[in-house]
Amino acid sequence: MSEHIPAPAAVTAATSGRFGRRKGMESRKTVTFGDASEVTTSKVWMVISLGGLMLIWWLIKRGPEPMIDDKTFPGQRQVWDAFTRWLREGYRRGSAWEHTWASLSRVLKGLLVGTIIGIPVGFAMGLSRWLRGIFDPIVELFRPIPPLALLPLFIMWFGIGEQSKVNLLVWASVWVMIIAARAGVLGVGGSKVHAAYSLGANRWQILRYVILPNALPEVFTGIRVALGVSWGTLVAAELLGTEVGLGATIYIASRFFRMDIVVVNILVIGVIGVAMDIVMRILEARLIPWRGKG
Amino acid sequence: MKDLSVQNVSMVYELPKGGSVQALHDVSFDLEAGRLLTLLGPSGCGKTTLLNIIAGFLAPTGGAVTLGGEPITGPGQERGMVFQQGALFEWQNVAQNVAFGPRMNRRNRSETKELVDGLLNTVGLTGFGDKAIYELSGGMQQRVALARCLANEPEVILMDEPLGALDALTREKMQGLILKLWKETGKTIILVTHSVEEALFLGDKLLVMAPRPGRIEQAHELPFAEVGLTSDPRKLKASAEFIEKREELLSMIWAMEEQIMGHEGSMS
Repeated sequence: MSEHIPAPAAVTAATSGRFGRRKGMESRKTVTFGDASEVTTSKVWMVISLGGLMLIWWLIKRGPEPMIDDKTFPGQRQVWDAFTRWLREGYRRGSAWEHTWASLSRVLKGLLVGTIIGIPVGFAMGLSRWLRGIFDPIVELFRPIPPLALLPLFIMWFGIGEQSKVNLLVWASVWVMIIAARAGVLGVGGSKVHAAYSLGANRWQILRYVILPNALPEVFTGIRVALGVSWGTLVAAELLGTEVGLGATIYIASRFFRMDIVVVNILVIGVIGVAMDIVMRILEARLIPWRGKG
Repeated sequence: MKDLSVQNVSMVYELPKGGSVQALHDVSFDLEAGRLLTLLGPSGCGKTTLLNIIAGFLAPTGGAVTLGGEPITGPGQERGMVFQQGALFEWQNVAQNVAFGPRMNRRNRSETKELVDGLLNTVGLTGFGDKAIYELSGGMQQRVALARCLANEPEVILMDEPLGALDALTREKMQGLILKLWKETGKTIILVTHSVEEALFLGDKLLVMAPRPGRIEQAHELPFAEVGLTSDPRKLKASAEFIEKREELLSMIWAMEEQIMGHEGSMS
């Protein structure tokens, strides 16, 4: 619980106009440096930050002889034109929506499979000493391997088609899910399990009604992180064997030196990544309202 | 109703680096059904270990505990447990927490609902059934823990410093509630506490435990819990008789603490 120190109305009115300051009581605090509750996201600074980026981009492309030529990095006008054309006509074999959906569906499939494998394995590692012993070295060894390094192997094993792409995204998400599920199981306090046994629960009921719901916040965080990691692996997954997808588009366009198309797709990937994270945060607040309030 | 019997219980913890610690040494006592026993002692006297052995969470290295003649080998619902920090299920609301035991036993839903409403009323939480656990204060959470424990009709209720995390005022109120529940339900209660006042006020029997090795130092039969509900608790706690007992026990526990400190001082 944070302390709320009431502020006199006159002082509030006088100090509430400053950038990033929330109106009201907190302005009476004398210690703000190091107080985490004072460091909140400020819309004003977000606008300044994005505006600053746009300004730098504009400055380096200014005039007839810009600092950076169009082959290396396109200007705002070019990118905007490329973006509207991309929306209207798509790129090569697919519409904008087809490219986007191809990428989204690969990531979601990979995440789904990664979650379906990861949760039971993570649970097993949290519940049994010998299963933990067996899986621990596997997880620790394979987790740091970047998905791109496995692309040649996956193409040999699963072919050049969709299977190897989805499997690469499974790889990107499964380790995160295993570790999240394991942490969720290990996070259950002994007293909750003890309480449930004393209330007549059997092993299966302990798992179903105590350990599983208790692990949900960790599992959900795992899904959110895995989604981010998979989305970031997209370009690697779509490097070969397809012409449809945001990552594939970047690769193909770069071979034709179409930097405007490349930048458009980079930005689209970025914006969708942010949007997915916002959706996950909203879902989290809805589904796990008790999180962090225990 | 079943009597509880603790016979020559010992508990030795093997240390990972070798050596061992005698947490309990030859602890024996009998507790008739329907009594309220308080366990008091300085930290490290093994009172929580003893409670966990009675609950069935720990198996003693020597001796045995029986309830109604049956040996205790693991946790069971005839022995309900209330922990210091509620150990409530925060993903369920208040009513679902209280209904947990009946639900695990697949009891009839409408009967359970009636039972839960009645219990919430008993612990003073009428109308709070739909609240989330994290919306409740610490005292209210302990009320939920009490109701959840009662829902399974246990023979014995074990409480491990149930009021230890509460502020002084809430604590006094909850002491009254525990006495009321004890009187109304007639259940056997064993309550571990490090508060001398609480042990005196609540216990109609009190065991003072001593450390190194953990053992029972003294047993007291106390009059205060019997009258605690009918008379003014503040007056009772300010009575000469109560204060005399309190100071006697306090100086004894102080002496034990001093001894431990001296012991540790000489080791370093």
